Amino acid sequence: MSHRSELTKGILKENPTFIIMLGMCPTLGVTTQVFNAFGMGASVLFVLLGSNIFISALRKVIPDSIRIPAYIVVIASFVTIVEMVLHAFVPAVFSALGVYLPLIVVNCIILGRAEAFANKNTVLDSALDAIGMGIGFTLALSLIAAIREIFGNGTITLFNLSETQRLVITLPGLSESPIRVLTLAAGALLLMGYLKAFFIWNGERLARKRGGKA
Amino acid sequence: MIKHYLKVAFILFAICAVAAILLALVNEITAPRIAYNTEQTTIATLEAVSGGYSQGERREGNGSDISYVVPLYDDSGVLVGYILEIVTSGYGGEIVMAASYLTDGSVLQSKVMSDNETPGLGKNAEESWYMDLFKGLGGERPLPESKNDLADPSVVSGASVTFGGVSGALRSGSAYVKSLGGV
Repeated sequence: MSHRSELTKGILKENPTFIIMLGMCPTLGVTTQVFNAFGMGASVLFVLLGSNIFISALRKVIPDSIRIPAYIVVIASFVTIVEMVLHAFVPAVFSALGVYLPLIVVNCIILGRAEAFANKNTVLDSALDAIGMGIGFTLALSLIAAIREIFGNGTITLFNLSETQRLVITLPGLSESPIRVLTLAAGALLLMGYLKAFFIWNGERLARKRGGKA
Repeated sequence: MIKHYLKVAFILFAICAVAAILLALVNEITAPRIAYNTEQTTIATLEAVSGGYSQGERREGNGSDISYVVPLYDDSGVLVGYILEIVTSGYGGEIVMAASYLTDGSVLQSKVMSDNETPGLGKNAEESWYMDLFKGLGGERPLPESKNDLADPSVVSGASVTFGGVSGALRSGSAYVKSLGGV
């Protein structure tokens, strides 16, 4: 596979959320606001990039029997570094991400990419895979968050660090009579089901098209 | 065989050691800054909830959920209330709050200082409108015990655990202030 394919596959073809179905907990939990999706996506992208590079660089050193604990140590270290740096230098973002920041340690995307990709491929390919998967995850989270926030609350929160540092677009009509269930976890699960069905339908449609051409 | 296990153990140990050194270095850089930020947040929060009254000497709380107590005085030096730092539990773990009370136990102002609640749900407790739900309650009028005691329970829907934690903390603080009395 070319370097370009490694970078772009995570965005649509192997999207971690809609196709591989990894990282469902933060997907359902954090997508109540668009800003949260950006923050979570950026944090996952950084941790994924760091862990993929390190695990790929150490792939010939780490014995197979201890690969999982070794990966967890690397991933947990990166998450802790992100946590400490955000807490010290951007406390508002640290506070906004709340409990989801430490939970990146157990995000299946990170461990999944380490196990399925980084420990078998070169450092460059692993880095490209991490960037593509991270962008794909961020876009998926942003799409889910946008639908949930627009229809569930009638707003789009683009920036939200405190009550004085905030950029929220309020949509007239929807904000007065929102579909409140979408803001709850049950609504997220329902929406995820519809989006998954759409992506399966779209994938099959594209496959038929390609088959027809061939 | 033993040699193999020793080699594997050494590799895992080396990875852990490198990670520990790296984390220690980052901690060395960030810890003073985090401590400074925490102190500044505490000062700003105490000022924000003091309601314009002068703050007295900080003293120990009850040794459990109330960490410390700061008496509040009016311009003539008369004790009018207290600020308490209260620790409670929410959905995502510990919530640390600062709340000011008049001596009759009614809430003057309150603010969340730190929490790990869910963004968009429990994290709404950081908003001023959320804390306004409790303002003036705890004296003659009781503080809510559950979201069903609110005029509009839907404003805290999806975050009942957080609401229970915040409300419970404020009730505990109110009872503590009443036990202190006006002296």
